Amino acid sequence: MMRAALEEPIRGGARWSYVFGSGLAFLVALQAITGIALSVYYVPSSDHAHASVAFIQKAVPAGALLRGLHHYGASAMVVLIVVHLAQVFLFGAYKTKRELIWVTGVVMLLITLAFAFTGYLLPWDQAAYFGTKVGTSVAGEIPIIGEIQRRIMLGGSELTTLTLSRFFTAHVFLFPVALLLLIVTHIFLFRRAGAAGPFHHREDHRVESFYPRQMLKDAVFMLALFVALAALALKWPADLGPQADPSSDYLARPPWYFLPLFQLLKYFPGQLSLIPTVLLPGALFAALFLLPFADRRAERHPFRRPIATGILALSLAGTVGLIALSKYEDRANKEFSTRFKEQEEASRAFLKSKFEPQVIGQVLAATPGVGVAPTSFGENCAVCHGDRGEGADSAPSLIGITNKPNRTPEDLLKILNDSRTYGLKEPMPASFDLSEDEKRQIVEWLKKLK
Amino acid sequence: MNFETKTSGISDTPEAPDKASTTVERRSFLGVVIGGITSGIGAALALAIGRFTVEPALADSKTEQWVDAGQLTDIPEGKPVKRAMTIVQEVGWGRFHEPGSVWVIRNGEAITVFSAVCPHLGCSVNASAKGFICPCHQSSWDGAGAKTGGPTPRNMDTLEHRIENGALLVRYQSFKQGIAEKETV
Ligand code: FES
Repeated sequence: MMRAALEEPIRGGARWSYVFGSGLAFLVALQAITGIALSVYYVPSSDHAHASVAFIQKAVPAGALLRGLHHYGASAMVVLIVVHLAQVFLFGAYKTKRELIWVTGVVMLLITLAFAFTGYLLPWDQAAYFGTKVGTSVAGEIPIIGEIQRRIMLGGSELTTLTLSRFFTAHVFLFPVALLLLIVTHIFLFRRAGAAGPFHHREDHRVESFYPRQMLKDAVFMLALFVALAALALKWPADLGPQADPSSDYLARPPWYFLPLFQLLKYFPGQLSLIPTVLLPGALFAALFLLPFADRRAERHPFRRPIATGILALSLAGTVGLIALSKYEDRANKEFSTRFKEQEEASRAFLKSKFEPQVIGQVLAATPGVGVAPTSFGENCAVCHGDRGEGADSAPSLIGITNKPNRTPEDLLKILNDSRTYGLKEPMPASFDLSEDEKRQIVEWLKKLK
Repeated sequence: MNFETKTSGISDTPEAPDKASTTVERRSFLGVVIGGITSGIGAALALAIGRFTVEPALADSKTEQWVDAGQLTDIPEGKPVKRAMTIVQEVGWGRFHEPGSVWVIRNGEAITVFSAVCPHLGCSVNASAKGFICPCHQSSWDGAGAKTGGPTPRNMDTLEHRIENGALLVRYQSFKQGIAEKETV
């Protein structure tokens, strides 16, 4: 089998323009390897995901490199798959006996986008959280099935830790299996049909085996990809902003490969938004799927298929144009551009700051000789008064409080019951959920603070 | 279309015997280049993943710390008591506060603190009528922590302690298991 693979005949001889398929296979392997490595530390839970990614990025040796390879590798896959499809389209290589190869290729483009969409959420930083929130809302606008589909994606009505879990499951279990099956089918069909060869093969009857010259070209291309991705990862570390804060007013933008859709949304307000979100992508992929069955002429030369070539040129130019336009508009808008600058600044600052482990479990530090504060104190009071009751800007220190006038244990109990009527200058928030027992425990503990 | 199906080398040139051998040489040279590139990428990845997974695992763990084991007045005279405490462990991405425990015996002013981790294979040691016993493989110790039976390789591990504000502070540590000497991990 190895031999058969090496001896695979290539009509018209080895060419640089044939390297993209192998390049994609290489990127898939690289994503799989780096992805498995990242999963050694990654935790798919909303309360630890960000800390675990920050740990990988900042503290683990070679972590920034591996995460960067995975991050930039994802974008490279989207680019390369589009180049590969465009080339096959341009060379008419989807024709005669190769229809299914094309169809599996288009499905793989969809899966790659699904990989990108689910992977984007996993770091659980601001951009990930708000980007995904917008993305899933767009999916929810589809008539009839939209809301159900959105809920199934989110695992509920909101973007929560359950969303993260199912995105993770899809990203590391479902999609890889689907992609693997498709790749095997794709390559099997490709081998059976044979390489399409150059579109002008009438004049070129050479046949050359895959090994060594085509294989060398493929290998050089893979090396170039690997070096480029590694350089990017080391020079511009993959983004990681502060942990997602659902209460903040973060200004979200989708990753670049979803920008064309995002830009189109601006032109179709209200009910019309179905055009860019559903109709246009639907029509595009339907056309891609049907292409080899609709276009049955044998002609393959791009210049003798002006309509097909024209459509391709227009859609590529349109896509690039929409991305550029969206970037431009964000930059031209004073308010947005300052916001983005602030957000990028925060992101950079977080990435540069030293890694701080997340505090897990008991948050309250014990005071020697006094012991740990009751849990109820930790949950209700420590936010303002500190873990050891040492006080902070927002609230006074409680150390030695029972020695102060009007602060006997009985007074403290009354304050806990109703701080407003007791006459504190700046009353504590009134919404404590403390049982009588818990109040007594807190006061008992406060008595010991000296 | 009628393609030639010959699949070795470039088939559009007729191969003279001496030319064929240079083609073979050229093929094997290109083979070496291909092998070099692929193993180079493989080695770079293997090195990165090796460091990524192995280095943090070999780093020193930081379990050693002084922890509060409660008020001295709560410790009865003469019989072993188990004191629960919070152990802080920095592991990977988190600083984990986890429950831990030690055995404390007070004889008047003299206080001894034992690690509750069995020196044999790490089960939790229980108090018994004659001192201590490990339920896993029946290792036993007397009230002073001296080995009296079972597979344990050594006496119970003592921990340093000091008194502050009437509270017992213990220097929590982990020791290697299964060896005769008391050695910190
Ligand atoms: S672990 Fe305690 S006796 Fe074996």
